Amino acid sequence: MEGIVVQGLRKQFDPPRGPVAADDLSFDIREGEIFSLLGPNGAGKTTTISMLSCLLRPDVGDARVGGFSVTREPGKVKELIGVVPQDVALYEDLTGRENLLFWGRMYGLKGPRLTQRVDEVLELIGLVDRQKDRLGKYSGGMKRRVNIGAALLHNPRFLYLDEPTVGIDPQSRRSILDGVKDFKAAGVTVLYTTHYMEEAQELSDRIGILDKGKMIALGTKDELVHLVGEHTRIEVTLDREAQSLAAQWRDLPRVLDVSEPEDGRLWLLAEDANTLMPRLFEGARAAGARITEINLAEPNLETVFLHLTGRALRD
Amino acid sequence: MMRALTIAWKDFRHVYRDLAGLAMMFVAPLLMAAALGAAFGSGDNFSVTAVKTVVVDQDAGAGAGTPAAGATLTAALTDPGMTDLLAVTRLESSETARAAVDEGDAAVAVIIPPGLSAAVMGSASPGTGSAAAEVEIYKDPALNVGPSIVAAVVESATQSLNGARAAATAAARLAMSSSVTEPAVLDEVASEAAGVFARAARAEAPVILQERNPLIEGVDTEKRPNVASQVLVGMMLFFMLFGAATPARSILDEHRNGTLPRLFTTPTRRSVILGGKYISVFLVVLIQAVVLLVAGRFLLGADWGEPGPVAVLTLVSALVAASLGLVTVSFAKTPGQAGAVSSAVFVFLGLISGNFAGTASIGGAFAVVRRFSPVGWLMEGWSNVLFGGSWGNIALQSGAALAFTLVCFGIATFLFRRRYA
Ligand SMILES: Nc1ncnc2c1ncn2[C@@H]1O[C@H](COP(=O)(O)OP(=O)(O)OP(=O)(O)O)[C@@H](O)[C@H]1O
Ligand SMILES: [Mg+2]
Repeated sequence: MEGIVVQGLRKQFDPPRGPVAADDLSFDIREGEIFSLLGPNGAGKTTTISMLSCLLRPDVGDARVGGFSVTREPGKVKELIGVVPQDVALYEDLTGRENLLFWGRMYGLKGPRLTQRVDEVLELIGLVDRQKDRLGKYSGGMKRRVNIGAALLHNPRFLYLDEPTVGIDPQSRRSILDGVKDFKAAGVTVLYTTHYMEEAQELSDRIGILDKGKMIALGTKDELVHLVGEHTRIEVTLDREAQSLAAQWRDLPRVLDVSEPEDGRLWLLAEDANTLMPRLFEGARAAGARITEINLAEPNLETVFLHLTGRALRD
Repeated sequence: MMRALTIAWKDFRHVYRDLAGLAMMFVAPLLMAAALGAAFGSGDNFSVTAVKTVVVDQDAGAGAGTPAAGATLTAALTDPGMTDLLAVTRLESSETARAAVDEGDAAVAVIIPPGLSAAVMGSASPGTGSAAAEVEIYKDPALNVGPSIVAAVVESATQSLNGARAAATAAARLAMSSSVTEPAVLDEVASEAAGVFARAARAEAPVILQERNPLIEGVDTEKRPNVASQVLVGMMLFFMLFGAATPARSILDEHRNGTLPRLFTTPTRRSVILGGKYISVFLVVLIQAVVLLVAGRFLLGADWGEPGPVAVLTLVSALVAASLGLVTVSFAKTPGQAGAVSSAVFVFLGLISGNFAGTASIGGAFAVVRRFSPVGWLMEGWSNVLFGGSWGNIALQSGAALAFTLVCFGIATFLFRRRYA
């Protein structure tokens, strides 16, 4: 069966001067995998999901979802997908249960099948005992769970989740991440967007890194990390002289980048941490400063993003 | 279709869960109608309470076969069409009449002198001379409106008497010029002419009656709706516009809080989603109208008129309100903007359509201007059934209102589709 095939999608808001939110995007998502779009605010994640949900018409290009074109057969595509919007999109004056019943009907469910699915989803999102409360009385995390639940009622083959864990407590986040893995286990193809690289690393079979509407890298976590080479990120905290030491360390061999110090904290991107570390301590001692904390970070998606764009993923 | 109804039902519940909105939809128009109804006297009629009037007719008439001028005047005051304006009692002597006014038992006394007929006919018979006769209007100095109504009636009646006098004189002169000299014959000719004129003059209804009781074309039975019902019609239509704007605005609200885009990601078609919205707007105002009409019937004693035409007007009113609510919202970008735009448009429409004036006081330019507004046409239709009209009196009005409605629905649909397609 075919997953999702994206071919040359482009979207510019308010042309000709508006931002190009998606710039010639081409990639595919395989049936049954978890695919993450990782990128900072404004990268174009929501725009891409909107085009794949037939909500936004691409200026150029097309995408096929389960074999159907999002531009020519939106009706067919919508039967297959469940979309969890980035911001909670539910009715505050209806109860949790009423919300699910409503959205289930919008997906074409009715009768005993509808009530059965609503009961199952309430069980899944752990809100059976709060189902009769109005949504307005729910906590943020509970609303987010209903927000996800509403997209599951019709057992979609493709599930899009747009930053589903923003602004919730670690426990709810954990249960959402575990839930996503369960969907995959049940055979659902998942498109997941986030700007938390930990989430992308933990969940994804493959990851696409988006920046300013462009797909700047795509692959499994290991493939992506390989792009950076054997780079290590060294985080250093100094009690004084951070400014001058940073300038000095920038000129050391095999140091690729050094950040601007902030409150004595800075990081270095280096090719060979083992030979570099003693020289850092020496330099500090010579300058009359002391390293109060040092941290080695193996290359990760954060480093990849940094390497590719020169900017941190989170600003 | 089921999905459209699901959406409509959700919006419908949303509206009916909002207490402030409900107060605006139901309590405000009823309160206005009740207050204005109470302000207009007994609340039974637009007229002031009938003026207590006493009449003393001392006029004996000028001769056999001649209608007595005093009787003509008295008849004008006791005309059946005047009964709710003037409560007339006849008294025998001018002293008791004045005493009645002095003691506050009557607001005004009309005293007709003995020689009135003679004075009217007098100049017709040569030689008798024209004695002046004065009809006395004795009034309570503290009162203004009542006595001036009486004075107006008396004046219009005496004018016709003066006309009769002129007619009699002219007839007598004409007879003399054709060499009739017999006094008895002359008298007869003159009184005959005066009588004909007086009857003709009385056949025309006094002008004031026409003013306060607009007659509906083709309707003979005079139905007098009470003030509260006339006010309520205007208020109902006005507040129905707001009733429609609230659920219509939910399209923008849903767009803003993301549920509309989310709906668009479900397999439910956009036309069905929009259709559901339209249905909810229509249902909300239809129920508003029905509740207000029923409440008006039982709380304010309104008699709306023939059930069939009333039902049709109710439906048309709901369609008009729904289309106006939707079209004003379709021009706005944000819910706040929609609120401002629709309020401004609705107040303007209310003003030119006479929603704040009740149904009765319509005339002149107003009657023309309000035909540029669907609400104006509705006001006309409602006014017609209130005053006893039937199908024939609402056909044009409903048709015109529906035409406006179609245009508004068309524009709204075009704009919504373009924005959300
Ligand atoms: N409706 C819109 N009108 C105009 N510009 C828009 C609109 N929606 C998004 N944009 C712009 O398109 C770009 C991409 O936005 P998008 O919402 O897709 O980013 P994102 O990756 O989802 O960001 P975030 O993590 O903040 O949700 C941004 O520059 C944004 O300002
Ligand atoms: Mg986004």
